[in-house]
Amino acid sequence: MSQQKTAAPKAASETQLVARAQRGDEEAFAALFELHKRRVYSLCLRMTGNTAEAEDLTQEAFLQLFRKISTFRGESAFSTWLHRLAVNVVLMHLRKKGLQQVSLDEVDTSQDEPVKRDYGDNDRRLMGSVDRISLTRAIAELPPGYRTVFVLHDVEGYEHNEIAEIMKCSVGNSKSQLHKARMKLRDWLRQNEGLLTPSEPVTSDQTPTER
Amino acid sequence: MEGTPRYRTAECDRFELELEAYLEDEISPTVPAHARECVFCKVVFEDLTALRRAARGLALEEPSPVVWANIRAQLSAEGAFAEKAGVWSWFWQLDFLRRPAPAAAFVCMVALGCWLTAARNYPQPETAGSLAASTSEPTVVRSMAFAGGALGLEKAVRGLEAAFKVRESKLAPDVKATYENSLNSLDASIRECNDSLQREPGNSLAHEYLFAAYSQKAEVLSSALEIDEGR
Amino acid sequence: MADRQQQRTRKTTALPFGLGIFLCSMALPGMLAAAEGNRTEKTIEVAPNPRVTVSNARGQIVVRGWDKQQVHVVCSVLSPRVEVDSEVLPPGGPADKVHFSTHILDPLVSGKDQTADYSLDVPMGTDLEIRDTQGSVKVDKLQGDDATVETVGGAIVVSDFTGHLFVRSIGGNIDLIRAAGRVEAYSITGDLHFVFPTTSKLRATTTSGRILFEGDFPDGGDYSLSDYSGDMEIICPPSASFELNAKTDRGKLENQMPMTIRHQPATPISSANSLFGTHLTGKATVNLKSFSGTIRIRQR
Repeated sequence: MSQQKTAAPKAASETQLVARAQRGDEEAFAALFELHKRRVYSLCLRMTGNTAEAEDLTQEAFLQLFRKISTFRGESAFSTWLHRLAVNVVLMHLRKKGLQQVSLDEVDTSQDEPVKRDYGDNDRRLMGSVDRISLTRAIAELPPGYRTVFVLHDVEGYEHNEIAEIMKCSVGNSKSQLHKARMKLRDWLRQNEGLLTPSEPVTSDQTPTER
Repeated sequence: MEGTPRYRTAECDRFELELEAYLEDEISPTVPAHARECVFCKVVFEDLTALRRAARGLALEEPSPVVWANIRAQLSAEGAFAEKAGVWSWFWQLDFLRRPAPAAAFVCMVALGCWLTAARNYPQPETAGSLAASTSEPTVVRSMAFAGGALGLEKAVRGLEAAFKVRESKLAPDVKATYENSLNSLDASIRECNDSLQREPGNSLAHEYLFAAYSQKAEVLSSALEIDEGR
Repeated sequence: MADRQQQRTRKTTALPFGLGIFLCSMALPGMLAAAEGNRTEKTIEVAPNPRVTVSNARGQIVVRGWDKQQVHVVCSVLSPRVEVDSEVLPPGGPADKVHFSTHILDPLVSGKDQTADYSLDVPMGTDLEIRDTQGSVKVDKLQGDDATVETVGGAIVVSDFTGHLFVRSIGGNIDLIRAAGRVEAYSITGDLHFVFPTTSKLRATTTSGRILFEGDFPDGGDYSLSDYSGDMEIICPPSASFELNAKTDRGKLENQMPMTIRHQPATPISSANSLFGTHLTGKATVNLKSFSGTIRIRQR
């Protein structure tokens, strides 16, 4: 992952907690849970859109983590290990529910609507800021395949090669699904403009720059 | 904007094709150039930028306290905690709390147990945390705590038994027989667990099963009291 | 509807006509009148994911899933003094909730005379709640969200169910065949039998009954089986990949599956047999616990 969503605990103290947890120290378990619960729960919630499922999956992810904690050797950051485990727990759950999550390559895009271009309707724009609650709702409305890749990339900060490995798809597929997910979100937010936060008019500073 | 085209052009198509790569930080001169010319494509770009910014800034959500309680109970039941196998873990595994009558009975048990325990054994309220903190004499503390808690449970179950004695004469013979068999089975397990704990006060498995047996007995008795035979 | 009104009119012939009409109009919608060992059949249009509940004292209840957006019930009673009521909400249009309950009208009716047998066909996605005090319950081929089945002494058999299944019997045996989703099964003296489950989570407890588990453990599955004095037998294929946490206080632990010993308890319970190991790559988690029963794990 290229970015951390929360302030990570000091590596040394987390290492100590992990070592204590590996020896069965209950307080260490509790401290690790406290450190990482919000990140894991938020991931589960955004990928399922359902509070009860997200709590069950959070529980499941931490149970698997604590059962396997003796196998953690420190090759990666603990938070990375936990996060990847949580993603796998959610994906397995979604597969079992029969949602098309096995591979993005299998997602049927033939029914996708073309990108809406409201020519002549310059006022209906997101305009620089998106209400957080609206975005959360919009993410929940996405089809599962789009939701997964959007949450993993734009919210959780996974790179496309990591998403491709997790979702068993190609990097190109991950990128195109992400773009479609963003466009669908944009359409949803524009249609529900009552939820949008109006912002200042666009200035020239926001014009895309040459690369 | 003056001179801005208001219809879709080939440049707009190309912009849309390359926008995806541009947002992935790939080089694409077409995108910025066209956005300067076309206000509609610029809107698309700005919308997606706003979306990405908002996604990165989404706040983290907090799970309910039940999540940790369930995790702790499950790990405790599995013996994951060193010397801290869950005396309380069976509580969370029971569906006992689903119905009002047994839930009320359970609350009474816990309240009674806490009152008796606090009055007799501890200068502070008994919690799982205080049990865990007693590392110097874990075996003694655990059995003392359990004695206090079990007494409360016993009293509550005795109350339910008295109510059941009144009700059981109204039950159909085969229904009554089923209840009696199950209560006998639970009583046998309570006796054996008590015997075990007298010989080995630190036997965490016996603790778990003893608490479970009392809770299951309360549940069985409550279900007998709730039976609606359709009259 | 016309048949039901005629039956009620027959019962109230001694009453003034107006009062009889008044009583007819007060009848709950969908009331199924039982007369002279009656068999009644009814079909109710339901909305997607309806909630169907049945409350019965004695008799067999059979529930099957089907592909129509209807609840179809056939109910048979032995005694004319036993009545089956149905309640449909909302009263008009496709129902969200359908409730069937058996009422014993005469306190002198007892034993087998109280019997009411139900046969229901319900759509996929139904939330089901069945309570049968002293009768057996069978649920077959249903894909639902939630299903709760409770009996006191009756046996419960659920086959090919997908969803969250909660099953409890005080004294009845419980057989779950090819269940998928999440399962909780509890009994005090009844035996628990699981055949080829593909559940992600399974919790099962019996006090003096036995537990027999036949099948594989799907990747990521979480299985917890516990009994007090009954024996427990796990029969799984050589390809089953699971982490095992097994312990018994006074019973024996017999394992035939090759295991990599994974973890020893920090403070071994002095008289306990325990085994914490991994078979193959440990993709599922299996927790087995018994106080004085024997735990056997063997290959199919």
